[in-house]
Amino acid sequence: MRDNTLKYLLVLPAVLVVFATAIWPLVESLRLSFTVGRLNKPNFPQGYLGFENYTWAFWEEPAFWYSVWVTGIYTVLTVTLTTLLALGLAMLLAPGGRLRSGVQTLLILPFAMSPALIGVSFRFMFNPEFGLFDAFFGAVFPPLADISWLAHPQLAFAVCVMADVWGWIPFLTLVLIGGLASVPPETIEAAQVDGASGWRVFRDVTLPQLAPVLAVVIILKSIFSLKTFDQIFMLTNGGPGTATQTLSHYIYFNGMKYGQIGYSASVAWLMVIPMIFLTYAYAKFVFRKAS
Amino acid sequence: MTGRQRKQIVNAIQITLILIAIFIMLIPIIWIFLAAFKSHVDVYQLKLLFTPTLKNFGVVFDAPYYLGAKLLNSSIVALVTVVVAIPIATMAAYSFSRFRLTGETAMLVMILATQFVPAVVIILPFFVMFRDIGLLDTRLGLILVNLAIVMPFAIWMIKGFIDGIPLDTEEAALVDGSSRIQVILNIVLPMAAPGLLTAGIFCFIIAWNEFLFALILTNKDAVTLPIGLALFKGEEGDLWNLLSAAGIIIMLPMFVLALIIRKYFVQGMTMGAVR
Repeated sequence: MRDNTLKYLLVLPAVLVVFATAIWPLVESLRLSFTVGRLNKPNFPQGYLGFENYTWAFWEEPAFWYSVWVTGIYTVLTVTLTTLLALGLAMLLAPGGRLRSGVQTLLILPFAMSPALIGVSFRFMFNPEFGLFDAFFGAVFPPLADISWLAHPQLAFAVCVMADVWGWIPFLTLVLIGGLASVPPETIEAAQVDGASGWRVFRDVTLPQLAPVLAVVIILKSIFSLKTFDQIFMLTNGGPGTATQTLSHYIYFNGMKYGQIGYSASVAWLMVIPMIFLTYAYAKFVFRKAS
Repeated sequence: MTGRQRKQIVNAIQITLILIAIFIMLIPIIWIFLAAFKSHVDVYQLKLLFTPTLKNFGVVFDAPYYLGAKLLNSSIVALVTVVVAIPIATMAAYSFSRFRLTGETAMLVMILATQFVPAVVIILPFFVMFRDIGLLDTRLGLILVNLAIVMPFAIWMIKGFIDGIPLDTEEAALVDGSSRIQVILNIVLPMAAPGLLTAGIFCFIIAWNEFLFALILTNKDAVTLPIGLALFKGEEGDLWNLLSAAGIIIMLPMFVLALIIRKYFVQGMTMGAVR
């Protein structure tokens, strides 16, 4: 067989799978977002509504805006905290040596943990009666003991952020250690010989060299933060009330619990829009690297 | 203070910070490990010293939890997903790596982008379709949707590995009259084997830990391990010792697999944006 035919035959199955498992559901979701789409009524999806689902979300549903707000704050906080802490940890671990390499190996573990399980373990640790944090605060700072962390809106939100940051720091750290390794040591030494302080070396030499890797990390983490579902579901299930209801959870709840597939599809599509920009930015980095 | 003393102090501070970081990193994991070996009474007391018991691991496999069935579902779903995805991804990856295709960049971006589509968007139409054709609560249904999350990683990762294989042996074999298919089977596949295994393990971990699809598509027969965690909610609240035992069964195999492929973890997750 000629290479010219073969090369297309080789990619065909993969392209078909991607079409069937990703492109079709995207388009079908868009179609459903214009329908009534009530799961528990006959003749699904019960005819078209035009943009009514969207206008409903925008003007009649404070819960939608609230989950946009929750998701936004959640994304900003988790991306900032994870990136800063991971950068610090990467700087600490980058020099290598036995202890540091050992820790780098251990960093894989939290990342191999199912996010659902991370949610469970944090709910366990923040249990007000016998959780680890309760005991910790009982010992060092009694006023904070016996707090029902997950029953308080702001505290529950803080615990969700903590669990997310805990789960992602290891991965971001590993990426940034890789990035730091590509900063030529000569430039750092040259700056040090010139008498630059540690902070100046970091700001003027390391950081600019690290910028592309940092950008990749921030985009990637933003995408995963926006999509967050598993941990939240296991940790607070969106509660108390809707205090920790991210967009993914809001869509899940409306679609699966209330059977409003049409409405949740429209919210899901609103969520796709920021993803398009982030993916575009990410793809630019991938192809710059490839060429 | 001399320069050397200063250096020692800085180093000591750094080591302390690193130790604190390890401690924070391991605490949730250690906590689960401890609780899994505690008896029902001990788990509600914050004891570090207790008589360890293996009873929890027996209980989770018994009625009414039957974790064994979930373990089987998770294993089958993740394994079949990988076995289907890797050959398809390898074929595509080879083609992307070695040839110029019309619309190549568009295809690659599309494959990359599918990874970033929120899972909730993908699952709504699948739920409706599976309900109509009777694929709800089946392993087959789960495997089909899992392909959506695994394929982009597999293609990009394997492409990275094949890009790294030098062209000369392939070209020499072609000149000697081998066909392209022979070249792929006899030369490229053996050389790419470690890469394929790495990508396979990576995808297995992703499919094993997958949560949202299984939550929406299964309710009894095809329930996987992460969803099975929800079983351990008793009338009087969570049964933490059983949850922890189940947690260990979920995470321990993944720890082993992740350690095997740790060198490629970053490259895989970032799909080649960082190497």
